[in-house]
Amino acid sequence: MGGSVSKIMGKIFGTKEMRILMLGLDAAGKTTILYKLKLTNQDVTTIPTVGFNVESVTYKNVKFNVWDVGGQDKIRPLWRHYYSGTQGLIFVVDSSDTARMEEARSELHKIINDREMKDALLLVFANKQDVPGHLSPDEVISALQLHKIKDKVWYVAPSVATEGTGIFEGLAWLSNNVKTSQSPPK
Amino acid sequence: MSVPLPIRTSGDASSSPPKSNGLPHLSPAPSISQKLSPRSSQTSARRSGDQHASLPKLKRRRCKSQYPRDSPERHVEFILVASFHIDRGPIMEHQYPGAISSDESMLAELMLPDQTHVRSQDWTMFFLHKDSGAEGEEEEQAGATKKKRKKRKDVSADATSDNGEGDDGLDDESEESTEGEQSSDEEDGGEGPPLMYVLNLVNTKQDNTVKRGAVVKAMAICTRHSFLHIYKPILLLALEDYFKSPYPETLENLYNAVNAMDLSLMPRLNLLERQILQASNSKDMFIEKFEQMIEQRRVEDDELTETDEDNPPSPKKHSSSLRYVLPRDTHEFESKIIYHDIPIPVKVPTVIWPEIVGDFSLVKLIQIFSAPHAAAPQPFPLHSHLTTSGAYTHPIIVLVNAMLTQKRVVFLGHNRPSGEVAEAVLAACALASGGILRGFTRHAFPYTDLTKIDDLLRVPGFIAGVTNPTFANHPEWWDVLCDLPTGRMKISNHIEPAPVTDGLLYFQQQSPVSVVSPNSDPTGDNLFMEDVLRSIANRYGENAIRAKWRAYITKFTRVAAAFEETVYGASNIYIIGPNEELTPESPSGLQSDPTDPTTLRGHGYVWPDEASKQRELMASVSRIEGWRTTRSYYSFIQDIAAMYFPARPILKPDLHHHHDRLRTLKLLPADAGAIYLSFSHAIKDDAGICQLLTVTPESQAGLFYLAMGLLHPNQTVREATADLLERIALHPAGRHFWTQLNRFAKTAYFRIKRERDARDAGSLKSASDSFGPPQSLMGVAMSGVQSHGS
Repeated sequence: MGGSVSKIMGKIFGTKEMRILMLGLDAAGKTTILYKLKLTNQDVTTIPTVGFNVESVTYKNVKFNVWDVGGQDKIRPLWRHYYSGTQGLIFVVDSSDTARMEEARSELHKIINDREMKDALLLVFANKQDVPGHLSPDEVISALQLHKIKDKVWYVAPSVATEGTGIFEGLAWLSNNVKTSQSPPK
Repeated sequence: MSVPLPIRTSGDASSSPPKSNGLPHLSPAPSISQKLSPRSSQTSARRSGDQHASLPKLKRRRCKSQYPRDSPERHVEFILVASFHIDRGPIMEHQYPGAISSDESMLAELMLPDQTHVRSQDWTMFFLHKDSGAEGEEEEQAGATKKKRKKRKDVSADATSDNGEGDDGLDDESEESTEGEQSSDEEDGGEGPPLMYVLNLVNTKQDNTVKRGAVVKAMAICTRHSFLHIYKPILLLALEDYFKSPYPETLENLYNAVNAMDLSLMPRLNLLERQILQASNSKDMFIEKFEQMIEQRRVEDDELTETDEDNPPSPKKHSSSLRYVLPRDTHEFESKIIYHDIPIPVKVPTVIWPEIVGDFSLVKLIQIFSAPHAAAPQPFPLHSHLTTSGAYTHPIIVLVNAMLTQKRVVFLGHNRPSGEVAEAVLAACALASGGILRGFTRHAFPYTDLTKIDDLLRVPGFIAGVTNPTFANHPEWWDVLCDLPTGRMKISNHIEPAPVTDGLLYFQQQSPVSVVSPNSDPTGDNLFMEDVLRSIANRYGENAIRAKWRAYITKFTRVAAAFEETVYGASNIYIIGPNEELTPESPSGLQSDPTDPTTLRGHGYVWPDEASKQRELMASVSRIEGWRTTRSYYSFIQDIAAMYFPARPILKPDLHHHHDRLRTLKLLPADAGAIYLSFSHAIKDDAGICQLLTVTPESQAGLFYLAMGLLHPNQTVREATADLLERIALHPAGRHFWTQLNRFAKTAYFRIKRERDARDAGSLKSASDSFGPPQSLMGVAMSGVQSHGS
């Protein structure tokens, strides 16, 4: 019953649901971002994700169902099973891991070239901006060759997941852009 | 066409899929020749020697162990350890005593279920196919089995030739058949080598000293025993040890400990005995067999001490008599595993049915999907195989229908431990099997994840447990999705529609107008579910619920057999007895040979009248036709052939059928009398009584309907019934049924005995006495009894 009431409220006030898939190389900070979104003001310590995590986060009237999938190279082939129905892709990179930036680029392009992901928004978190020797957001853009991407809306947000810096800005971008891409409710 | 042969052969030509021909492979002929063959003389000599020493009572067979001490089969075959490597993902760390499979990464992935990182401990189960080591390679398997079976058949046909000592399995079997009607190999009939069951425990330990803060390790026990849950406590201890000393020695210790478990005093029961024990609540059913096992063991021990002449025999003897204790409940055998000097008690089920694996709960499964349905029923999209009672068919019935018609079933338990989805899968297999049908666990994936999705989708009609909610977003992967957290079931919009079949057309032509009203319950499923739910609410317990499902599946197969006879003129899944005809015109209960009371016509399921039969068959057309193309159907045909002799020592009359007639129909005294006489004539020996007891379970009033024969107007019938009951009361299993019979019936029994004794004595003393005939006296007595009863 409560569910149906909030559904009606959602219709009136324009709450929407958005399926978000969060991917990236192992140890990029995906799970930390997920739980910083979910548990705003708490400290988050994470361990490697076996399989996946999924949480719902409501922000600015949008209910984000965020899927966070483990990043070890052996389990990356499984990512594709999460594509269908995804409206937004959050790709997390460890900005200080310059050695694996090329690996990250290749994985990212594999994902966004998939047919099932062609309509998804792309948000890149240039994470770990607090670690010395990190790349700036612009450097991440060029390292990931984001300028090569045609017909896709993308955005790079600098972030420090452990402190929660930048992650809600990224989410705000997603929620703003999903609004323009869908017809606004009455 | 309808030749009254004991073994049906006519169906074989039409149904080609892999199955042995109609001949049961426990035919009596080879066993007789084997008894005389020189090869078995050694064993029989040993056996008779034992009998002389231990058993003064005659005709008591040596009781065999289910798990003999000298068996080369080990309880546990492999121990595995895997861990989650922070860079590489799941990896295998150790395998003991050797590598179980070449595909280490597949095993490691199975051992580390999704979301292990969010809980400190999780149990899973999965099955491996022996040869391939990988799941889902049925074709290869089936081929291998056929070869094996063929070889075995060749060997047993040539029984006199010396086969050497190597072939233990065959030796075992031949000995078995010389011992009588024991059934040995219904388990391995047809489907290939037994599955390897894997019980897996995974622990996640937070540890700040290691990179990324946690260590995830899993340890698994691989066994061919379906009661793998007994190893849970020891696996907990062993994995803890492994965290402290991550070396192969830890695996070796565990391996040796579990294999030292002694189950050799558990007696082996034949098929009928197992059915009786399963259906009974008596805690001392077949206790005699356990006693005999201990007795035999004591004799063996004594022989050992006698040969050991140096040792003083007394202390050992003393300890041995203390060591062997009878089980408190014969349904379970108590033993222990000694691990690091700690004895861990284990209970092993005495009766093992196919498809019953692990320690699931049917009650739990039924409750999960019944509560939301009762609170707010949601309509299913119609599918004739599944929604057999319309859009509001009970979800559990939808599930069973899906399993019977070999649909792809997924149990999803997001945020639940993977052990929970595994349990649901195992429960679903048991539900659909009832311990009678097979082919479910072999295609079950109690826990699986996305890494195996491609293999999974290659298996037709799988039953899988997953925790990853992404499965819900892929309706093309499943036909029925069972969501455990919400207790809701979904039928996929991608499901293949049911094809139009002969049976369907037949019934449509027969009665084109019979529109079933939504309130009626032609399948009886609504009534059945209500009964099950009431039993659960009244805390009847798991055993009672399992018995109900067993009865449900038994009924399903019997209705299916009646369906085949109606539509196709003959059935693949019922072997008619001698003197029996398939023509529906021959009325049930007719005695085909007037001199032989056992030649009572009739077989199969009993309906009160033809109309209700047509109604029920019609309502069941779709799922029966759906079932008739599945694996479980073809295995059932094999089983029917293989179990013809073990399960039916009495070929005529059809005990189940005629007992059902007593139970469900209002018979004329003459018809009922014919049944009582027939039973009393047919059922003489141990095996026959066992067979009768399988159709008179406690849950269906036991011997009550049989005992009604004590009140029959005809004296001959009354006395024949009394004789039969006397034989049952003296039977080791039958005595429990006799005890449970009500006082009223017992009083009638003793009266008949008394009257007959008096009459016999009277006729001996004064045969020429001119008193009224005893029959009229009897009639007076009986009318008195009847007025008491009414």
